[in-house]
Amino acid sequence: MAVTAVPGMVGGRQPLPWMRKLEDERWLAFTLLLPTAILLGLFIAYPFVEGILLALSDARVGDPGHFVGLQNFAKLWNDGIFWTAVGNTFWYTAVTTVFKLALGLWLAMLLNRHFRGKAIVRAFILLPFIIPTVLSTFAWKWMFDPTFSVINWTLFNLGFIKARINWLGDPTLAMASIMVVNIWRGVPFFAISLLAGLQTISPELNEAAAIDGARPWSRFWLITWPLLLPVTMVVMLFSVIQTFADFQLVYVMTGGGPANATHLFATYAYQIGIGTGLLSQGAAVSLAMFPFLFLIVVIQLLYIRRVEVR
Amino acid sequence: MIEGAVWRRWVFYNIPLILFVFVLLFPFYWMIITSFRPDGELYRPWNALNYQPFWTNKPTFEHFTYLFEETEFGRWMINTMFIAVTSTLISLFCGVLAGYALARLNFPFAGSLGTVIFITYLVPQTLLFIPLAEIIRNFRLGDTPWSLILTYPTFLIPFCTWLMMGYFKAIPKELEECARIDGASRFKAMVYIIVPIAVPGILSAGIIAFTLSWNEFIYALVFLSSPEQKTVAVGVTSELIRGDVFFWGSLMAGALLGSVPVAIVYSFFVEHYVSGLTGSVKG
Amino acid sequence: MLKHKRRSVIKLAGSAAAVASTGMAGILASGRTPAYAQQKTVHWLRWVDFVPASDQLWRKELVPQAEKELGMKINIETVNGNDLQPRTTAAIQSGSGPDLIMAFNNTTYIYENSVVDLTDLAEDLSKREGGIFKYCRSFCSNGKIFMSMPWAVPGAMISYRKSWLAEAGSPDGFPKTWEEYRKVGKKLKAAGHPIGQTLGHTFGDAPTFTYPYMWSWGGKEVEQDGKTVAINSKETIESVKFMTDFWKEAHDEGALAWDDTNNNRAFLSGTISATLNGASIYIEASRKPDTYQTEKGKPMKDDILHSPLPAGPAGQFGMHLMQSTMLMKYSKNQDAAKEFLKWVHTEKNYEKWFLSQKGYSTPCTAKWEEHPLWKQDPVMAPFKVAARLGQAPGFAGLPNQKAAEALSKYIITDMYAKAVQGMPAEESVKWAESELKKIYSA
Repeated sequence: MAVTAVPGMVGGRQPLPWMRKLEDERWLAFTLLLPTAILLGLFIAYPFVEGILLALSDARVGDPGHFVGLQNFAKLWNDGIFWTAVGNTFWYTAVTTVFKLALGLWLAMLLNRHFRGKAIVRAFILLPFIIPTVLSTFAWKWMFDPTFSVINWTLFNLGFIKARINWLGDPTLAMASIMVVNIWRGVPFFAISLLAGLQTISPELNEAAAIDGARPWSRFWLITWPLLLPVTMVVMLFSVIQTFADFQLVYVMTGGGPANATHLFATYAYQIGIGTGLLSQGAAVSLAMFPFLFLIVVIQLLYIRRVEVR
Repeated sequence: MIEGAVWRRWVFYNIPLILFVFVLLFPFYWMIITSFRPDGELYRPWNALNYQPFWTNKPTFEHFTYLFEETEFGRWMINTMFIAVTSTLISLFCGVLAGYALARLNFPFAGSLGTVIFITYLVPQTLLFIPLAEIIRNFRLGDTPWSLILTYPTFLIPFCTWLMMGYFKAIPKELEECARIDGASRFKAMVYIIVPIAVPGILSAGIIAFTLSWNEFIYALVFLSSPEQKTVAVGVTSELIRGDVFFWGSLMAGALLGSVPVAIVYSFFVEHYVSGLTGSVKG
Repeated sequence: MLKHKRRSVIKLAGSAAAVASTGMAGILASGRTPAYAQQKTVHWLRWVDFVPASDQLWRKELVPQAEKELGMKINIETVNGNDLQPRTTAAIQSGSGPDLIMAFNNTTYIYENSVVDLTDLAEDLSKREGGIFKYCRSFCSNGKIFMSMPWAVPGAMISYRKSWLAEAGSPDGFPKTWEEYRKVGKKLKAAGHPIGQTLGHTFGDAPTFTYPYMWSWGGKEVEQDGKTVAINSKETIESVKFMTDFWKEAHDEGALAWDDTNNNRAFLSGTISATLNGASIYIEASRKPDTYQTEKGKPMKDDILHSPLPAGPAGQFGMHLMQSTMLMKYSKNQDAAKEFLKWVHTEKNYEKWFLSQKGYSTPCTAKWEEHPLWKQDPVMAPFKVAARLGQAPGFAGLPNQKAAEALSKYIITDMYAKAVQGMPAEESVKWAESELKKIYSA
């Protein structure tokens, strides 16, 4: 593959007479924002509008279709699988976020001390987060495989179970399995980010409190937690966005099965739009996700602002 | 911190930490052991008598040879690397400039522009890919790395901009003003004074962007088609799941090798990653 | 292999490098030097074959041969069968992608606006080879055009362990009815090796079980008019009820979400005693008799037999995965692709592939039923007539676009899967009815 030129789009370099214009803050800001505006405009704003139009049409693969108004959404309203996916997405996001936060915080506290091999442990612990989701999920899928599960082997040999656990074949367990993998993947991100936050808290505060006789538990609630809150909220914000729109994990583990029990917004949209070729309905499912996500994020952002002002 | 007795340290710190490390790393051990296992051992069901999951006596390289001889795995690695690096650079370039403008310049609608950029991060990929497919068709970029290099920044730029904004905000305004008094232009003050200070932030944004693009899956799945254009994640998923029996060996081998480059990047930059996050978080 | 691999990488560097790698000798042998330098490339997307030897055959022998004889480059790509539909949609929408794509069953109807009419090629084949079977024709031709070129039908039969079935009280062959099968299955499960059957979202083993199963009880999706949804019948409910108990009593409950490959692994590892599948299990077991052995240490292949699905109150049915090749409208190499398609369908070339399948696939024309291959191995004999006897989804209507949508949404399969998971039979049938109505009333 030969390297072809980028289609002319980068507007950073300016000829000299322009330099004077850049002294004006507004012109400078305009210039600096230009590349971003072009890229985001072309590859997000425009397709976003197109996507909305698509959701309002009856397009299917190879057929551009006609405008049909809100028909697709009316269909979704009566679509049981869609509501399952909605419920799943909320449940999935809520459960995994709580666990990721609790475990991540715990791990961060464990790491926030001096011990031998700290650097190595910290580097290794990040592995689950940095490795491509698809690839690590395959390892998990293999561990959960109904016929070859190593987890079942271990539990059986330790005497915890008598018969095998049907990890991916049972709707509830399949959902739980997916959550486990998501938590496994997310905990390192929480832990390392919260650790970064913990390290900005001066140890003297804690020591002073200890001298005043505060127990460790109350020291945590009264000193560490409030100071850590801004970081926590930011980390949660990003995690929630990622989790809510998650695709890869479910796509690999269950493909939305068994019998559509584990679909999320994104996998269901993919199955309808790309799998079955009903483009407009797939777009409608995706679009339906946007207001939910938007609302969650706005609430979080408002909360962050309040926390930071305090 | 006041240290307790030794047993307390074990119960409250060491044992939990060991458990964490074990659970977090076990899947990797599982990947490694599976990729060196001969097929004959892989088809033993979980309740077979001779099933010994945690070790193999006959390690084999056959899965790795399969990867390189029967698939385009090497090619996928190169593609992914090229795509991830290029799209990261583009996004960093845009993100640094935009972050600087939004954080340090006074102009109308600065605040709402920042919000708009953030919101673009929320637009679901599954909504975008069909319209994007048409744009890519019109630009004749289908089935080339450029279809990804140009679309990945859509989720990388908002992230980079946001991170850099936080970082730039934390740098005192006086620094620039001093430079400007010395006669530097606004543009020069930015390039020579502020940006160098922000290097740790840029690095950490770069690492995260690189990881995100290495990790990306949906666009790569939809926009690339020839085997020699695929990325690792897509290639492994679509071509290593074979109809015939036991593909786990080569699949795990592919997953393992596909993870190495990111792991290396991180092992070098983990400190920057942490400090970069701290910086942006403080801002 | 290594040599070919290296070549395929160099191929990318452009036509000049391709010439260099083939060497002057290759050019001289083909005798068309200048044309080769500006050759056309045909990109062919297929599933990853369940008979690996066939994929090897393409890569090592047939593709190089075709490249030489036709003076074009052929890029063969194989993907997991479940990815074919997404890839097709994406390719059509982005206007670039493989020139030839393999289609399963009636999904051809979903893409009917985006394919090139292949009537001339198909009718020519039909004339040469004694006629295309009705089953195959109904998938490829919508009455106006041939949306795709019939390729072959990997028959779906139950692979089972002779000795275990005998132990469970079915000494002379496979149970003939669902009732008998259930009785035998109960004992099989009690003995620790149940029946393995997926009810998941997977292209082959799920629908090829659930559709014929439903038909054999007298259930059907729609009336003959192709509009009136007829699934909510006494017969269908009966079939769902039976399935629920049958599942609990005789099936491996871990199989609910299996894909097409899980049962192969489970069977070969000796955890299940019977499963609906193509012949790939038997073929794999014969290929490596030392690896796959019974608990008594004998080669497993000698303990495998095949049988069609048992009969129900309304008769015995079968549905087999139909494969065909679509030539895409967006392709810029339509002529070359057609030429190549013609080439692979000449008897001499097709036969090489057919032989490599060892009976796994049944060709779509009558002529191949006479082929000596079918006499070689009695275990494979039941597959001979797969393409002749199948019934298409959409029954009692046509296998049209609506039927294809129902198939790709796995509605019939989910109806059984839901019931097996505890939903009352009446409710799951009602659910399927409402889903089907959404499709058929649009």
